[in-house]
Amino acid sequence: MEAAPVVTLINKRRSEIVVRWKEYMEERKDSSSIIDGRTIETTNDNFVDLIFDYLADNQSQDRLNNLMGRILALGWPLSYLTNGVHIFRRVVSTLIIESEMEKAVILDYFKAMEDLLDPIFNNLIEDATSTWENTVSIQKRALMELSAPLIPVMEYLAVMPLIGTIDTERAKLIMENLLEGVIAYRTEVVLIDITGVPVVDTMVAHHIIQAAEAVRLVGSECVLVGIRPEIAQTIVNLGIELGEFPTKSTLKKGIEYALELTNRAIVYKDKPSGLRL
Amino acid sequence: MNIAPNRVEIHNEWDIVRARQSGRERAKELGFGHVDQARIATAISELARNIYLYAKHGEIIISVIDGEKRGISIIAEDNGPGIRDLRKAMEDGYTTSGGLGAGLPGVKRLMDDFDIVSEEGQGTKITAKKYLR
Amino acid sequence: MRIPILKLYNYLLTTIQVELDDQTAIQFQDDLLNKIHETGAIGVVIDLTSVEIIDSYIAKILGDVVNMSELLGAKVVLTGIRPAVALTLIDLGIRLKGVPTALDLEQGIEKLRQELGE
Repeated sequence: MEAAPVVTLINKRRSEIVVRWKEYMEERKDSSSIIDGRTIETTNDNFVDLIFDYLADNQSQDRLNNLMGRILALGWPLSYLTNGVHIFRRVVSTLIIESEMEKAVILDYFKAMEDLLDPIFNNLIEDATSTWENTVSIQKRALMELSAPLIPVMEYLAVMPLIGTIDTERAKLIMENLLEGVIAYRTEVVLIDITGVPVVDTMVAHHIIQAAEAVRLVGSECVLVGIRPEIAQTIVNLGIELGEFPTKSTLKKGIEYALELTNRAIVYKDKPSGLRL
Repeated sequence: MNIAPNRVEIHNEWDIVRARQSGRERAKELGFGHVDQARIATAISELARNIYLYAKHGEIIISVIDGEKRGISIIAEDNGPGIRDLRKAMEDGYTTSGGLGAGLPGVKRLMDDFDIVSEEGQGTKITAKKYLR
Repeated sequence: MRIPILKLYNYLLTTIQVELDDQTAIQFQDDLLNKIHETGAIGVVIDLTSVEIIDSYIAKILGDVVNMSELLGAKVVLTGIRPAVALTLIDLGIRLKGVPTALDLEQGIEKLRQELGE
């Protein structure tokens, strides 16, 4: 296929375009960037060369995509790449306009240029989105792993501290952990500590109630501890029914209560009689 | 792995057990954890029981979803009387059989996707799916 | 298929080792109520450790058997419900409210003794 006239024009004026492009890139450079000037220069050279290669023959598209993908993977901002293509477009547009060709021809040139450059943008956006989606899913998994462990404290007593926001997916995982742990340690009472849960809304309360009910089904009991004043307020204001399972303000009070439930008590050895805790 | 769908015809109470056992097997092969295996088997049990109670006979088809997301698909199909009021049938606690009424809304919660088509006098087709996490 | 029911002093102990189909469940309900009547047992432990699936129908039969036994003067504790089973029951919206539970047979007996003040 014969190259479009616009490509011929671009190739003929290549050195000029490169100079102008680099000037603009320099202007737009993020002064706070930690990437050193030498690296930026090399990358700029590669980048603009590959844009030319791509225009010369579509086979080079893979190489261009490849470079852009690598630049993104290095953590460079997406705006570096979009700017690069935008500036290229601007430089070429200026050239076309300066050429003083007929209006209809100029429009043809513009259209041809758009057709050539648009796929680069599309690819760039696809690439960036899939990179982000990937990151999000990795972070989601990391959050899952951060999920609540069940910590056996004493014989028949365990604590599950919940930290962070609880969504449906996490709630399921927490429930499984909780129940498996109850069975493994033969836990009679589980204290669910919500000190680290920032917001308790209807949804979160619902998940916690379900967990407590499931714990009761396997034959153990739940006590909800770590209820801060503002959480107590939201629970009442939202009209959330916590059902019949008990709540305590602190872990300490929860442990005392759990001991009482299982007919146990902490006995202090050789304690001076005047000193009572 | 064998990916041909399993079809279990439901005519009597024993078929309910056969259907859910087959579903649990398939879920296990696919790599579902044991809690999800129980969820899938229980959902099949509920669906098969609906067929047995209301339509007398029908079929449970268990197949593998081998797309972008892998999972298991359960189709429960009968030519029974159909469901007059779908909205009501999906309400918690609604029952016409004297059971706990956990049936359809329960199945919906056990699975990830739930779809029901029913016409009075024509029958009911329920498709429920669960994906690997 | 009959599920064996053992008598131990004032209590009846039974552990369900098979997959519960409808017939077996109904038969078990009959057998347990008859046995309570026969022996005058005041406490029952039903151990479900080996049960892998409880759907809404079986759950209803179990819930009924607890209430029926109480009418006959026997307290029932369900023990050993597996985590997976508990989670599916929750999804089904079944809470078995008012039914005492315990982790295993041993704690079930302990619970009966507490509840019956023995």
